[in-house]
Amino acid sequence: MRSPSLPRRERENGIPGTGAQSRALTHFSKYVINRLQIMSRIHAKTDAFRAIADPTRRAILDRLRAGPANAGTLAADFQSSRPAVSKHLKVLREARLVVDTKIGRERVYAVNPVPLQSVAGWLEGYRSFWQASLTRLKRNLEAK
Amino acid sequence: MSEIKTHARAVADVVDGLIVASVEIARPPERVFQALTTPEITEWWVNPGVFDTRKWSGDVRVGGRWSASGIARGAPYTLEGEFLEVDPPRKLVQTWSRLGMDGEPSVLTYLLEAIDGGTRLTVRHAGIVAPEQRQNMSAGWRTSCDRLSEILPTQKR
Repeated sequence: MRSPSLPRRERENGIPGTGAQSRALTHFSKYVINRLQIMSRIHAKTDAFRAIADPTRRAILDRLRAGPANAGTLAADFQSSRPAVSKHLKVLREARLVVDTKIGRERVYAVNPVPLQSVAGWLEGYRSFWQASLTRLKRNLEAK
Repeated sequence: MSEIKTHARAVADVVDGLIVASVEIARPPERVFQALTTPEITEWWVNPGVFDTRKWSGDVRVGGRWSASGIARGAPYTLEGEFLEVDPPRKLVQTWSRLGMDGEPSVLTYLLEAIDGGTRLTVRHAGIVAPEQRQNMSAGWRTSCDRLSEILPTQKR
């Protein structure tokens, strides 16, 4: 895997070219990459919130956590039209919350466990924070 | 005084980024509310070796700010936010952000309910988004950045 932050050529050459011109270019490309990374963060946020904000999409995610399904099955489960479900699946796919696999002529959707697992790990920190804090609050107050 | 035996419980909803926790405390709601809105917080936002809140300050009124700082797993952290709803001794709503992390703040709601012999305190911490989640979402954009970084240095050489 390549590191996303440094131009490959620059890394391979070690110290970039000697002239002021190539130094300026390096600065410029770093600036552009930096701007794009900032934009990607803004974009990412919008994406995440858009994907999770919709109750139908949350329900689809919940349904897929129980097991993979194709668009037709999901449409039947949610009493919704196939194009409507496909639209939701597209948003979820773009947010990398679901992955699709082609099995024969069928496209089967499943929850992408990677982002959800990292979310679960992050949330576990908060969960244990509240469990520990409330236990301590109870102990402190009842001891006083 | 009779002591309520229930232990604190906390559950996480991964899809919604939500924590719901509750505990029953053998003290009246007024006393519990005080512990949520004063520097007394430094005495209970603590789990030895994991996190330790050292300072807390807050202007407890709607629109007022709060901030807390301490050490979590060896690294300093600062939390801050704004009070959205202050209704003693029943309800307290505040936003919650970790300093240095971008993104929408999460929202913390305390509900205090008088029960026989004390208070039932329910905590709802909603809208928690993991930094990894944001990164995963932007993977497509990062691919574009990679490509650009390959094109740019070659153009003038």
